[in-house]
Amino acid sequence: MTYKQRRSAAALLFLTPYALSFLAFIVTPIIVSIVLSVMHYDMTAPHSVKFVGSSNYKDAWKDEYFWQALKATFGYVILMVPGLIITALGMGLGMHGMAKGRNTVRALLFLPGMLNVAVTGILWQWFFNGEFGLFNFILKRLGMNPAPWLSDKAYAMPSIVLMSLWWTLGGTSIVILAALQQIPKQIFEAALLDGAKGPALLSRITLPLLRPVLLFVVVTNTIAGFQVFGQPFLLTRGGPELSTRGIVQYIYETAFNNYRLGYGAAMSWMLFAIIAVFALVQYSFLRRSTS
Amino acid sequence: MNNVLKRVNSGFMSLMALLFMSPIILMILTSFKPEAEVLNPSSAIPKHWTVANYQYLLGWSEEAPFGRWLLNSFFISTSVTLLVVVFSSMAAFSITRLRVPGGNFMLGVIVASMMVPGQLFLVPLYLMLSRLHWLDTPAALIVPATAGGFGVFMLSQFMRAIPEAIEEAALIDGCTPFGLYLNVTLPLCAPALATLGIFTFVGSWNDFLGPLVFMDSVRNYTLPVGIALYQSSYYTEYGLTLATSVLATTPLVIVFMAFQRQIVESMSSTGLKD
Repeated sequence: MTYKQRRSAAALLFLTPYALSFLAFIVTPIIVSIVLSVMHYDMTAPHSVKFVGSSNYKDAWKDEYFWQALKATFGYVILMVPGLIITALGMGLGMHGMAKGRNTVRALLFLPGMLNVAVTGILWQWFFNGEFGLFNFILKRLGMNPAPWLSDKAYAMPSIVLMSLWWTLGGTSIVILAALQQIPKQIFEAALLDGAKGPALLSRITLPLLRPVLLFVVVTNTIAGFQVFGQPFLLTRGGPELSTRGIVQYIYETAFNNYRLGYGAAMSWMLFAIIAVFALVQYSFLRRSTS
Repeated sequence: MNNVLKRVNSGFMSLMALLFMSPIILMILTSFKPEAEVLNPSSAIPKHWTVANYQYLLGWSEEAPFGRWLLNSFFISTSVTLLVVVFSSMAAFSITRLRVPGGNFMLGVIVASMMVPGQLFLVPLYLMLSRLHWLDTPAALIVPATAGGFGVFMLSQFMRAIPEAIEEAALIDGCTPFGLYLNVTLPLCAPALATLGIFTFVGSWNDFLGPLVFMDSVRNYTLPVGIALYQSSYYTEYGLTLATSVLATTPLVIVFMAFQRQIVESMSSTGLKD
């Protein structure tokens, strides 16, 4: 065998394990999911499987729980994404301005992000608990009224967002800080020489230069926000009155508590479509305003 | 003036870092308190230190086999990490260094597949795993996890940057393709392999939805799902659940301390390349 032949044989051999796994666990599930979404598939009655065309999709369109879940998901995204970007920008700028100890602050801000969502949920459930919770204990000590952190519709989603901010702020701040550090110092020096002051420096120089990274964090966090599951599931189980039950939790319950796999698959594709549309719109919008 | 501002900023940022750390510090301190003191805290630091919570947890109880969950998590995360690093590096080596026909097209497909959200795989995977009789076994969490595209993508970027001259020199010395992979390419990729390994381990350790859906019996849970479900049935015993949280977090904090630089640096670079 020549070296060339040996190389081609080796190339195939090296690719095979991953390629098989990719075919089995990425390609096949996508195909299965498309097929399932046009089937009536009830796990409790496996013999009742039949083709139903687009009726799962039509059902979701008419399902008030689907809309409610969508509303809860939007509620999370609308609070979380701007809240996260603004606070992370503040933290990034703050860290960038530090002469000493920047790396320590960076590591400490990021540490909560290493925690598991279950641990985060347990910890914050203790903080938020109405009777035994730490927050209400502190409020009572200060002579204030305890707050219904998780049991009131108006409070529950903001409470979930507060926990999520604590959990994910560090990672996003680090990405923004890294982008800030890439901006050449000369640009600021030139602007200062021209008499630029703090706010103008921020709005005219820093923010425009940060556009690409801001685009990246807005799009990735919106995508992640639409898929939120663990935080509301652990803190409120979707309550009170389903006001915090997001779309992924509804899919989870449809498929694995009620065993309606076809309906669950169809709703997954609808969520995928919503995410794709949002990501594309944000991308083209922010892209255009960059150039 | 500028100096004063700098000091104020540094002070404020240190305060923020402390504020962000305080829930974790509180969690650790409170896990050493007796239950009465947890519910009525007169100070953050325990008055009566106790390890009773930890003793109870590490004693192998039926309803909460904590040690078993810890072993499950270790076994699953370690297996996933090893397999992902081996499979991904082999595939990336085949695509970039051995130039397998159609390799670049395949890489494109792999990257495109990364855009499909994870929750979409839940229902079809459940069905497939139930056909394979893998539900409620570690295989359900290990084998499908090797298909993720991130590792192949990242390592391909890295391996492309290796100069061909190094490879040619090895070939002149009579190196086989396998020898090239093992003795030349892998050592040169060590930092990228470490980064991939850390991210894969942390991701697998923290996976919540997967084990929640695919595992059925209490003894087969991973740690996060185990403690979350345990907590929902014994939720008022905060001292106990906080102790479980501390134990579940410790391995990750050790990983973080050991590889802090690497983790933060690779986090930093994610947003810069687009």
